[in-house]
Amino acid sequence: MQIFAQLIVSGISLGMIYAVIAFGYQLTFATSRTLNFGQGEALMLGALVGLTLVGHMNYWLMIPLVLIFGALQGVVVERVAVRPALKNKSEFGWIMGTIALATIFKNVAENIWGRDDLKFPSPLPESPLTFHGIHVLPMEIVVVIGALGMMLAVEIFNRKSIYGKAVVATSNDRDAAGLMGINTRMVITFSYALSSMTAAFAGVLIAPLTLTGATMGVVLGLKAFSVAIIGGLNSGMGVIVGGLLLGIAETTTGFYLSTGYKDVPGLVLLLLVLAIKPAGLFGKTVINKV
Amino acid sequence: MLQVKNLHAAYGKVEVLHGISIEVPQGKVVTLIGSNGAGKTTTLRAVSGMIKPAGGEIRLNGKDITGLASHKIARTGLAHSPEGRRVFATLSVTDNLTLGAFPRLTFGRERGDVQGDLNRIFELFPRLQERRNQLAGTLSGGEQQMLAMGRALMLNPEVLLLDEPSMGLAPLLVEEVFRIIRELKTRGITMLLVEQFAAAALNVADYGYVMENGRISCHGPAEQLKNDPAVKAAYLGAAH
Repeated sequence: MQIFAQLIVSGISLGMIYAVIAFGYQLTFATSRTLNFGQGEALMLGALVGLTLVGHMNYWLMIPLVLIFGALQGVVVERVAVRPALKNKSEFGWIMGTIALATIFKNVAENIWGRDDLKFPSPLPESPLTFHGIHVLPMEIVVVIGALGMMLAVEIFNRKSIYGKAVVATSNDRDAAGLMGINTRMVITFSYALSSMTAAFAGVLIAPLTLTGATMGVVLGLKAFSVAIIGGLNSGMGVIVGGLLLGIAETTTGFYLSTGYKDVPGLVLLLLVLAIKPAGLFGKTVINKV
Repeated sequence: MLQVKNLHAAYGKVEVLHGISIEVPQGKVVTLIGSNGAGKTTTLRAVSGMIKPAGGEIRLNGKDITGLASHKIARTGLAHSPEGRRVFATLSVTDNLTLGAFPRLTFGRERGDVQGDLNRIFELFPRLQERRNQLAGTLSGGEQQMLAMGRALMLNPEVLLLDEPSMGLAPLLVEEVFRIIRELKTRGITMLLVEQFAAAALNVADYGYVMENGRISCHGPAEQLKNDPAVKAAYLGAAH
């Protein structure tokens, strides 16, 4: 039982990382019905830029700089890979556009930081805390708080500020939002900036717990994508539950079956959700009254 | 106030407006009537920047707004309550109304008394006040129409475009919509009204334009159009 509890606790911090990346997918999907398939690479770049900065400064001071870097990187993705496709009303152009950019980012990272995985120094003690025999790394707690804090901050912005409401209005009905004087193109750029910023943040949160390297984003980005699908592309609660489900499924399978199979339950879950509830576990289907 | 000169518009390669000229003077209500597919909605969409005009000129208070993006046109004081209401379903009634004042709350338009205007909208539409915290998507069709009109008014507009405010509403609600348009008129709000209920529209309007196949087929003071035998036969019908 204690082992099981331990596996759940370990799954939670992993799951929250998936959740916060999946949240990033939702941000751009809401405003533009497009996704950045380079979310994983945004995370990787955030982690590696953070690693370089951390050589010169304190971990906590580095975070705001990485957030700014992430936002700028998101603006580049939107301008280069997404906007041309939206302008030409190309339905799928953004898919190849964001994948191509992601590959370029990965290559650039390999050239700057090398192909080997690097150790990211942990800002907190690396000896676990123990509660009732369950071990928790201090950094794992930071991950959970940081991920929830990030999502909460965006949610409060959307609900309380006039600019946040403009973002929600654009998600609801882009044309009508334009009639309100909202520059919806800018809103979409902003959502990409926010989305990459979230991913970069996830990168520096998870980096001290794993190894950091040019390829770290590929699998994380893909898994977070399946979390976004499992939870529903328009449900904030959905990505949290989906992320936790996947995180816990991985740690438990890794222990009880074999680490070789740890990716299977998540994918089985994904296939099940797609077959039974394609809008996701918490997916909302908006009803328009006439 | 609002001047539209020789406006052309196309969907893809198909031209649907072949040179529309309309004038909406300050403080007047002008209506655009015509059968389905005549191009009334397209005219409004081209004026407010929802689609790019293919030719012609649109001026608001003398300022050329032709071809500007819709958000820039809104900032010049042109409000458009679009066909189908298009309220923001996942936002509350109050948030929808507040967003109507977006250029006033951010930049692009003089701020004025936004809170006071919100209260005046609630006085004008008591139903909206009752439901101010409800999500717009849960409102009835009539309430959504009130909200769409209220939201457009929150811009404190120089001119208000109303597209089919009575569409799909029960007769009592249609009457209510026209009562409100009349009320807005007494408050001096300049309006361009597109309606299928031609008789009711001509009753409230000062001036009317009749559209047919993407052209203005005739225009004149509302009184005169109401008594025009051709207009009567085609749009007013025996029932009115």
